[in-house]
Amino acid sequence: MHRLLDVLASGVHDTKNQLFIAESEIAALEAKHGLDLSEARYAIELASSRLSRTLVAYHLLRKDATLAVVPAVIDDLCAEVLLDQKKHLAHAGIELEVACAVRDEWPLDRDLITDVLNNAVQNAGRHARSKVCLKAWNDDTTLFFRIEDDGAGFAESQAGITRGTGLIVAERIISLHQRGGRHGSLHLANGGELGGGFFEMHLP
Amino acid sequence: MAIIDYRQKKFLVIDDQPMARESLRAIAQTAGAFAVDFAPGYQEAIFKIRNNTPDIILCDYMLGGGRSGQQLLEELRRFNLLPDETIFMMVTGEQSYEQVVAAVELVPDDYIIKPFSPDKLILRLDRVAAKKQFFAAFYREKRKQEYASALAILASIKDSEAGRAYRFESLRQEAEVHLVSGDAEKAETAYRNILERYEFPWARAGVAKSLHRQNRLTEAREEIDKVVAGTPHYFDAADLKANICMAQGEHAEAQKVLDEVAKKTPRNYLRKRLLAEAAELNGDIATAQAAMADVVANDNMPGAVSAEDQLTLARTHVGAGDMISAEKVLLLMRESEVMNLDLARQASFSALLAVASPDKGKPKFSGLRPALLASPLPTISRVDVLRAALTVDDRELADTQARQIMSGDDAKRVFGVVRKLYALQGREPDFREMQRQVALQRIHHDESTE
Repeated sequence: MHRLLDVLASGVHDTKNQLFIAESEIAALEAKHGLDLSEARYAIELASSRLSRTLVAYHLLRKDATLAVVPAVIDDLCAEVLLDQKKHLAHAGIELEVACAVRDEWPLDRDLITDVLNNAVQNAGRHARSKVCLKAWNDDTTLFFRIEDDGAGFAESQAGITRGTGLIVAERIISLHQRGGRHGSLHLANGGELGGGFFEMHLP
Repeated sequence: MAIIDYRQKKFLVIDDQPMARESLRAIAQTAGAFAVDFAPGYQEAIFKIRNNTPDIILCDYMLGGGRSGQQLLEELRRFNLLPDETIFMMVTGEQSYEQVVAAVELVPDDYIIKPFSPDKLILRLDRVAAKKQFFAAFYREKRKQEYASALAILASIKDSEAGRAYRFESLRQEAEVHLVSGDAEKAETAYRNILERYEFPWARAGVAKSLHRQNRLTEAREEIDKVVAGTPHYFDAADLKANICMAQGEHAEAQKVLDEVAKKTPRNYLRKRLLAEAAELNGDIATAQAAMADVVANDNMPGAVSAEDQLTLARTHVGAGDMISAEKVLLLMRESEVMNLDLARQASFSALLAVASPDKGKPKFSGLRPALLASPLPTISRVDVLRAALTVDDRELADTQARQIMSGDDAKRVFGVVRKLYALQGREPDFREMQRQVALQRIHHDESTE
């Protein structure tokens, strides 16, 4: 079974290397000719993160996913999401606002949580009319991230908000985070401050 | 946007794939870099870093030839080739590299996952630079081994507003400084402070290491067992566990642990040395011989193979009864090198040569005898002297060494080895008697100091 995983992982690895070559060629062209090809680069990075996410989802489904928890500076993490998404959203006429009130380091899986945030911002961007907002704050025991938009909100059925694969993966990643017996949790609702849906994660 | 002027910085890109190397250069140049140098592999990278230290290193994790960027980083730190001011950024296509970073002790300044944009690289480099700036004064004192003032600086910055973003790093640095400055109790407290906030495997390993230094072996073993069970890919923890097992006299377990991780890291020669040590103590001389032969032949950084390594290799040959190989190794050491060894190593050299080749070794060994009787020696040299003294039937010299060993901290560690040496000469009862006397003396000493 592990051999299959090795084959998949090495395929993903090689593909990402190729994508990196493509992105660097584009970046060099941009610099040389004063172009803005950021949407092409965004598409490349998106393809690559989808590949990584697929591997993560595979681990999660096999229940052998382990986190790599490191102390992370939350302000930096938010700055990175802003850098990854702002320009792309601006192309679609949507403003991304980031407000981080966390000053302390927080132990979490930096890569996975960044990916969850990026994914949530992308989703919000698809539904937003003009604005997406990412907020981070904390109290003594919990770190909060909230992403909301001014769109129509999550699709709801009688059972509540419908969760696609992306949300299920996000929820698993969040709940794998634990500290002193407390687990992370994901909260989805409609009718946030901006009027649309909101995605909130609580990390211990 | 950048807080550093990257045009002024010397970049070194390390990658074995030509295309990927070009890409890294293109990205660095787009980020503003002007001077970008290349290294296609491990040896070239070390050569370039040694001769013209870069400001920023972008190193791919996979370097080909069974080497990884992580190994390169460890080697650079081991030989002190990486100044604190240099930024070492690991570049990887693997999400799983985070698992490595979360577990190992020696981490790069940061790592970045491919593909990434020039802007992202700048963001990450700026961040690392800001952190280095925050700790700059502390690093300077730490490097000068001015530990008290390093700790004072740390105490003054860690509770500052800017320090909130580096709280864990401050605590970790504090613990490490306590460890290197020899205050294992304070180190233990600092690591436990970290664990109160979060159960990091490296902090738990730090507790184990601090307990080991305090010779609280049972507790140290309990802690390190937890770490090794919870994070099997944390190889440094396996090394630490092996060291603790050896101190406890559990050499078979030490060798087992090292055998497993050494297979996964075949070119880590520090670990190979440790494996040789454990195997030798465990009586598996063939494994010790093979591991040391590998080290001496293949650890090819200039200056990496020390006189100590040659002595260890010779020792394993002697242990295996292969006196010709032992003699060969010892006589390959240059006269001038041997002359410059300290007493402990001279003692080992002459003792091993006296056993391997009595004609050549005995005169020098006899010449050192008065010093060997009177001077403090590390355990490893005492065992060598003991072995030679038993071989030439110098009972006084042998028994002096045995008593010193049995009353020291390493008694459990080398008990089996010493007993075996006496047994080989048919003197096991004498050894038992000495052991009894040392134990009685210890009880007497404890009673009189209570």
